[in-house]
Amino acid sequence: MSRLVIDRVTVRYGGVTPLDAVSLEFEDGVCGIIGPNGAGKTTTFNVLSGFAIPAEGSVHIDGESLLAVPRHRRARWGLRRSFQQEQVIRSLTVRENLLLAAENSGATRASVDAALDYVGLDGRDRLGSDLTILERRLVEIARCVVGEPRLVLLDEPAAGLDPAESEMLLGVITGIPATTGALVLLVDHDMDLVRAACATVAVLDFGRRIAAGSTAEVLTSPDVRKAYLGIEEEKA
Amino acid sequence: MNLLPFLVAGLVIGSVYALSGVGVLVLYRTTGVLNFAHGAIGALAAMLLWQLVPTQGRLQPAIGIAVCILIAAAAALLFGLLAGPYLARIDELRKAIATLGFALVIIGVLLFTWNDKARTLRLDTSSIAINVGGSRVNLTQIICLLLAVLVVVATVLAFRYTSIGMSMRALASDRELASVVGTNVRLVENVAWALSGAIAGASGILLANQTRLEPAFLTFLIIPELAAVVIGRFSSLWLTLVGGLVIGVLQTLASAWEPITAYATIVPFLIATVVILIGRRRVLTIGVVRS
Amino acid sequence: MISFLARRNTRVGAIGLLVGLALAVVIPFLPGIGQGSGLFALTACAIYSLAALAAGILYGRLGLVSLMQIALVAVGGWVTLRLYYATDLPFELVAVAAAVVTALIGTLLSLPALKLSGLSLAIVTLMIAGGIQVVITATGFPNGGTGFLGRLPAGTVPDTMPRPTWGASDDAYFRYVAVVVAVVFLAVWWLLSSRVGRAWAAIRQGEAGAITLGIPVTRYRILALLITSFITGLSGALLAANTGVLDSTGTTFSAQQSVLLFATVLIGGTFSLSGAVIGGIFFYGVPVLLQAWGVSGDLVFIILGLGTIQAITTNPIGIAGSVAALARRWRTPRRASRAREVTA
Repeated sequence: MSRLVIDRVTVRYGGVTPLDAVSLEFEDGVCGIIGPNGAGKTTTFNVLSGFAIPAEGSVHIDGESLLAVPRHRRARWGLRRSFQQEQVIRSLTVRENLLLAAENSGATRASVDAALDYVGLDGRDRLGSDLTILERRLVEIARCVVGEPRLVLLDEPAAGLDPAESEMLLGVITGIPATTGALVLLVDHDMDLVRAACATVAVLDFGRRIAAGSTAEVLTSPDVRKAYLGIEEEKA
Repeated sequence: MNLLPFLVAGLVIGSVYALSGVGVLVLYRTTGVLNFAHGAIGALAAMLLWQLVPTQGRLQPAIGIAVCILIAAAAALLFGLLAGPYLARIDELRKAIATLGFALVIIGVLLFTWNDKARTLRLDTSSIAINVGGSRVNLTQIICLLLAVLVVVATVLAFRYTSIGMSMRALASDRELASVVGTNVRLVENVAWALSGAIAGASGILLANQTRLEPAFLTFLIIPELAAVVIGRFSSLWLTLVGGLVIGVLQTLASAWEPITAYATIVPFLIATVVILIGRRRVLTIGVVRS
Repeated sequence: MISFLARRNTRVGAIGLLVGLALAVVIPFLPGIGQGSGLFALTACAIYSLAALAAGILYGRLGLVSLMQIALVAVGGWVTLRLYYATDLPFELVAVAAAVVTALIGTLLSLPALKLSGLSLAIVTLMIAGGIQVVITATGFPNGGTGFLGRLPAGTVPDTMPRPTWGASDDAYFRYVAVVVAVVFLAVWWLLSSRVGRAWAAIRQGEAGAITLGIPVTRYRILALLITSFITGLSGALLAANTGVLDSTGTTFSAQQSVLLFATVLIGGTFSLSGAVIGGIFFYGVPVLLQAWGVSGDLVFIILGLGTIQAITTNPIGIAGSVAALARRWRTPRRASRAREVTA
């Protein structure tokens, strides 16, 4: 099982500080990162995947420094990430989309079929443009479980799906840690999804951590409600 | 060898490159469109002028020139009006390619109407000349020098003190914000197209007079014109002016040196390529930064 | 491998290839178009389809606008002629060597601009096209003389490079070119179906996504430049052998031509290989055809210009892509799509 420690990470762009001495710890299973827009959630993912270089702080997984791994080698190291914007390549088939992930992260071609079996996708020679949106999101998840992932970052993986489809995706997401041993971080605005998928959750606001802990506790905390809804509890 | 005539000639041609570059820059900063058809619009104005004012002319030369500049402005404005909505939706690279298409259309029309024979465009102002240190400088050339500086100064002042100028700067720095604040984006853009077209017309006429009146040749003078914009780092009016002058002078001086005369016209390309390469840092747009 | 062969795309491609080769055999026998200047034009179209293929791969597969392809054709032609006069080796060796040199030059020239924006690369390649135009006009093409430039003194009758042994006559050379083109297209097609093609597709989709997948983006871009410049150099070699001598005085190798080539490729369709064939035909064939019919060749500029504007603002897949899409829609009935695409 894995343990991710983000220690006092600060990111500065020009005059803005998207992350301000943020410390987070995640261990095992599916963990959520939530917060209002601009809170620093995507910046956290950018730090983990190498698109944002922290001015201060460190990131360790099971004692290994992640920041020391060059950006283009992190996939091989075991990092997987899905984006809010769809990444499935329409002109390639399902299998080819998966092969892309496998070839460039050191996974075997056999693991492609294993990943597709896991998410439950058939018709693997269909082009990306012929898939439904749910199937495309499933392909993205499959790309995340190909090979031997250690850290899977999911950024609004259910964007564009209706409740029934999100339910289906949920099942796939929650099974990832057990099937692959990877730690899964989930960023989403859909509280139902977060509540159902994540055992623990961290809350960011204005680049700072304002709460972390078990999902149930955190989601009922007054600080979190204030940050999200902007109301004072006294007035409620 | 007396280099002064070459220096003067270089400054003259350089100032027209600079003038042209300023036209390109103003449009680019306001609309994000790098207008590859700028040279072609100039060629259009030049050919029309040649047609309208043959020898003793039906039209007074001055009026003829004004008319042609207006037509150039109108052509650019027309393109801006028709293509504007589509251009707004695509990225800078594709906007520029669209103007490349516009340039091809113009060349086609020009070649079809007049063939590609080299002609000469005579301007009356060329007959008045003064003596500078042993070399003869005619009025047209003086106009080239002055016009470039004048336009740069006027533009800098307009940007700072007129409302449309300030709106252009607002658009240049943050489009979304400008429209939220109430800037009439379409109006400002259209003004930029017309203005840029007028400058293209003027510089086209001057270039045709100073080099040769040939549609394809004039159209592809966009290359040294772009070189001036490159040196100006796509943002500074003064640097574009300086850039144009430097290119003009170096190119003309190179043509004075016997062994490389034939290669002199490579100077703008070389300078621009070098400047581009040692210059801009690219920003990796990942589309995930705003969350 | 089996699944690759079984795919519909592969079947379509194989048929296209066979049709193309059949045409190559048959055309020289046809009266009119298969003779004299008609055959010459078709040969040139085939040669330019290679340059169009290169430009198409760069834009269609990697999103890179290169406005200097014709200038690289000139480089390929120049090196071919120079090497031939210097070494007297058989055409095939000289052509491959010229293609390699062009590959290196094209890649080195584009490399620094890769790190910049797409617009910068377009500008830089246009500058280079202009620069090469100036140089080539000043140096001319080698025609049998000595020295680095290989020029004979003015007024002497220039030498010509002979055709390759298996393509000596006009008919034979047309077929020779057709075979080379077929081989190159096959090779490119195989490449596009391989991991290289997949990586390119990912890069085109979005650099961030590609990097996240672990794709070494710059390396694949360099590979694309090497391959496309090689193909372009090859077309220069074929062009040189077609007439035995190349002329730098006209507009054949001007920056204008590079722009026109890009325009034809854009309109013909950059995403499919047939688009390159259409591009080649349009680029060389249409002006010639118009002239034969007494219509001004200058209309081509207008057609290409309007087509470019239309293609870039609305229709990214070009003529070939539209045809393919129509064919696909006609063949497969529309399924009711169950997902509602909700924008987040």
